[in-house]
Order: sequence, then C-alpha cells, then structure tokens
Amino acid sequence: MEGLSVEERLKIANSFLLDSPPGEVNDVYSDIKVLLNNNNAAYQEGLLDALRQYNIEQYVTVTLPEQESMVILSKYGQIENDRFFDPKSHQAFTVDHISQDVTEVEPHTPDETTEPLRSAVETAISEYVADHYPKGASATYSTGETITIAIVDNKYNPSNLWNGRWRSTWVISPESGEIKGTIKVNVHYYEEGNVQLNSTKDIEITSSPVNSEDLAASAAAYSKSICKAENEFQTALNESYIELSENTFKGLRRALPLTRHKIDWDKISNYKIGQELANKS
Amino acid sequence: MARSFVRNHRSYENTYFESPANTILAYQHQSLKVRSLCEGTITSYQNFFRKLLSLKMGDQLECALDLMRRLPPQNTEENLSQLISLVPSIHEDLVNAVDQPLKVATCPVSKKEYLQSTFNRDGDSFRSPWSNEYDPPITDGVVPSSKTRKLEIAANDAFDTYREMYYEGGHSAAYFWDDPGQDGFSGAVLFKKVGDSVRKMKGAWDSIHVFKANERGRKAHYKLTSTVMLYTITSKSELGNLNLSGSMTRQFEADYPFDEPNAHIANIGQMVEDIELKMRNLLQEVYFGKTKDIVNDLRSINSLAEFQKQANMHGELVGELLDNRSDIAQKKTQLTSKLKLRINNDNDEVKL
Repeated sequence: MEGLSVEERLKIANSFLLDSPPGEVNDVYSDIKVLLNNNNAAYQEGLLDALRQYNIEQYVTVTLPEQESMVILSKYGQIENDRFFDPKSHQAFTVDHISQDVTEVEPHTPDETTEPLRSAVETAISEYVADHYPKGASATYSTGETITIAIVDNKYNPSNLWNGRWRSTWVISPESGEIKGTIKVNVHYYEEGNVQLNSTKDIEITSSPVNSEDLAASAAAYSKSICKAENEFQTALNESYIELSENTFKGLRRALPLTRHKIDWDKISNYKIGQELANKS
Repeated sequence: MARSFVRNHRSYENTYFESPANTILAYQHQSLKVRSLCEGTITSYQNFFRKLLSLKMGDQLECALDLMRRLPPQNTEENLSQLISLVPSIHEDLVNAVDQPLKVATCPVSKKEYLQSTFNRDGDSFRSPWSNEYDPPITDGVVPSSKTRKLEIAANDAFDTYREMYYEGGHSAAYFWDDPGQDGFSGAVLFKKVGDSVRKMKGAWDSIHVFKANERGRKAHYKLTSTVMLYTITSKSELGNLNLSGSMTRQFEADYPFDEPNAHIANIGQMVEDIELKMRNLLQEVYFGKTKDIVNDLRSINSLAEFQKQANMHGELVGELLDNRSDIAQKKTQLTSKLKLRINNDNDEVKL
C-alpha cells in the first residue's frame, strides 16, 4: 500500500478534486495538499490540471476588468490551456485557475458569418436567464454548425453550511431546429452531516429550423423551448421530492409504532409476545 | 486491515465520543487538541520530534475527515478506501472515525442474519450477536465479559422488537464491550433497512448509535453519538436521475435511574427511541425541505420579473392595509375617548 506511484496518488487526488461540491473546491484543494504532503513539481502540475478541468466542467465564473457581468469558463470558450474568450464582450483573457484572477485581456474577433444568429440567441437567452435565475450567468457560443449555450447559477452559503449549483448546457442545430440539453443540479448540506443531492437529465427537444429573415424570432422560440424544458425538469424534481418523502422515506422507518405510542421499555418483552401472537393468528 | 475497534477502543474513545466524523464541532475540537500539543513543554529533542510527528498526523487526519465531509456521500466506501491508500499512516483512525454503511451477513452457527460493522470486527472477522462466535472463526477474538454478554443478549432481543415496531423489517444488532477499570460498559446499537423498490424509487436507512454507560450509584450516565445514513434514489423520464443521500450525526447525554443491570436496556432503549425520532424529523426537514428549497433558490419556475411585479403590488396592498389599519386605530382611539368622556359625564351626572 505504501508503494503508490506519483501517477496513482495524483489520480486519486484528482478524482477527489473533481468531486468537490459547489463552492468548496478550494477547501478540497487545501485538504488534498496536506494529504499529499509533497510539494514536488509533478504534484503541483497534476493538481493544476485537475483544477482547470474542474473549473471548465463546473462553469466557474470570473469577472473581466471594468465589467459587471460574470463570464463562464467552459470548453466552448477555451482557446488553449488557460486562455479563454468571452463571446458577449468579444474579449480573450488568461485565467489563473487557483486565484481565478484574469490577466492579458485582449479583443477577440467573432466569426462574421455566425455572429448575427449567435448574438440574437445570446440576447434571448440572457433575457430568459435574468428572468428565471436569481444569480444566473450564461454564455452563448458559436460552435461550428451549432450554437451552444452554457447556463450556471450558484448559491453559496458556507456560514449556514450549504451550497448549491445548477448547470445547463444546450446545443441548438439551427438547420434542423433540434435542441439537445443536459441539466445538472448539485446541493451540499453539511451542518453536522454530509447530505448531497445530485440530479441530472438529458433532454432532446424539437423546435423549428432557423428563419434567416427573422433571427430574433427564431432565437426567442429557442429560448422559449429551453425555458419550457427546464421548467418541466424542475417541476418533476419538486414532485420527486414529495414522492421520495411520502413513499420511500416513510417506508423505511415509522415515526411511531402502529400503537401510536412510544414504547413502554419496562414492558418490552410483552410486545414480543404480542407480535408472536399476531404472527400466529 | 485495521485491528479491532473494540480491542483498541480506549485509545479512540475520545475521538469517537467527542469528535465523530462529519461534525464541525469535532474538527474544532481536534484543532484544539493539536494546539495543546504545540503548547506542551518540550523537554527533549526526542519529545520534540514525536510531537512534530503527531502534529502532522493530526493535521492529515483532520484534513481527511474534512474531505470526507465534503466528498459525495454516495461513494463513502470508495472514497474512504482511496483515502487510505493515499495516506496509509492514518488508516486505523480513519476507519474508526468514518461511519460506513452496515453489511448484512449470515451467522454460520445460528444461520441467522446479522450486521457487520466496525463494532463487532476483529481483524478480518465479525462477531455474530446471536452466537457470540467470530466469522470466519478466530481463536483470540475479543468477546464481552459474561455479565456484559448477558446484557447484550437482552438488548438484541429488545431491539429486535423495537426494529419490528418501527422498521417493520430490516435488521438490528447490539454489540457491547467492557470498559475495564470503570463501572459500566460501552456498546453500539445498529439498524439497517433497505426499502422495497417501488415505482423506481429506492431507499436505505442505516442508523448507528454508539454509547458509553457509566454506573454512578443509583444513577447511570449515558453518552450517545447517533449517525443516520439515508440513501434515496429515483429515476423517471421527466426527471432523469436523482440521488439524494448522506448522513447526519447528533450527540446526546443523560442520567437515568439505575437499580438493576437490566435497567440499562430500558434506559438505552428510551434514548435510542427519542434520538431516532428527532433524527427522523431532522432528516425529513433537511433532505426533503432544505435541499429542495436550495434548488428552487437556484432557479425559479415562475418569471422573476412577474414575481417582482406581484411583490410590488403586494407591497402596495400591504401599505394601503396598514394605512387603513392606522385609520381604524385612530378612529378607535377617538371613539374610546368620546365614550370615556360620556361615561365620565354620566358619572358626573350621577354624582350630581
């Protein structure tokens, strides 16, 4: 057991890091550093790779200088390694994955042919996100033949020991009007415990093909379809909460015995006789 | 493989009772312990290095427990085994401090099913509460004294009845061990229930109650640490997959009257019953209330703009209502003073 190689140790450490609950990656990172107890360059580099992967997968947001809106880090906006671009403000930047500081901000020219549709979808999606996500951030990318949308909303409340994150990814094929999406919700509650909700859903919906005469109308239609699908998922999630509570949870342990009274422990053996009699009859 | 929890329980007693896994207080407590190590007078280099070593170990254990409190509880067993291979030196402390799901096995002697846990383990073997034999058999396995075993048998019987009344199925076990040099003993009361999978919904409940009983004349003092692990999983087409799982821990201390050995069973039974009801309510609230609220805080099904509009309207309405109310209040005061005036006048008249 002592003989784990650097790679094997890093593999474990990185899987922990990638499993970090919302808003707690820094805590997990510092725990892992103490557990690895080794400052050699291979570990540092390996951990940084995992941290980069975490930030991209989790749609971690950064802010650009002199801008209010949050910018999502995602693979769709990754130029190379730590270089990303913001499709909204048309800027490229370098991010430090530990401090999340942004440097080397430069203009980033969008693709001329796809920009009109991308920009129309961005407007509709920004409006939708502002109307349904209290602290939401979104990014709309032109991804070849498709338009890809990333949405994230985080609510961190470490002083009350809970954190939550909602992520959605939507890929629109304008030619066919097909929309494919994935929603992921994670909640961590850790007051004298560790309770986590993990919920994921893959969705496919069909909207109409893009109308090149009226991009704004097409964008509004896509946004409406996405809103409907997300509402349906959230409604199903809320219903499942009730079902799990009413059926599954209640089926595990009763609040009180059938007698509707707590047990009289001085007469515990009498209950057994009662049970045996009931079983016989 | 770590040695027996029971065999070594004295060295872990404080860790278990004062700082169970998954509690924040526990970590604060541990850092206090670490701090006191630093403050101790250093008399020799040997001591210095020993302290430095234990300080580092304490640090690593603290971080490992913090990590277990954050990593998905859905993979507790896997995370724990990976953590152990990463830092083998804290293996034993980790295994004893982190609660893991209970396992059901069949006792080869009595052919009855029993629960395997850290509390009936010695090396790679587990002691059956029904036969008191280790499975697989070992010659020098720790067993309770005959006095404590007698209580253990009675407790297994009583909690089996309790299990049927509350869980209507599942498994229960009580494992007791002696506290040498003290009047009393320690033990663990365990329950496991795996729900029937109805309409693609699955659930499992594991409760682990670890207690220490101290006899003090006609009273007995009990310290109880209870952990419930609850797993709920469901999937359907509108929802996709949902996994809502984890554990919560609470501690409890109480004195109960104690006149004869069997009073322990009733006392522990009452405590376990009370704390299980409290924890059931707590789990219900956190799992199906709190985490649901957080989801609906992340995203709103209804339009936020619409909501704001309504809130504003509501605000106006409340404002008007308050205005009206102050009007009414004002009229009421006016009326009362008028009335008083009249009564006074009447009185005056009577007097006159």
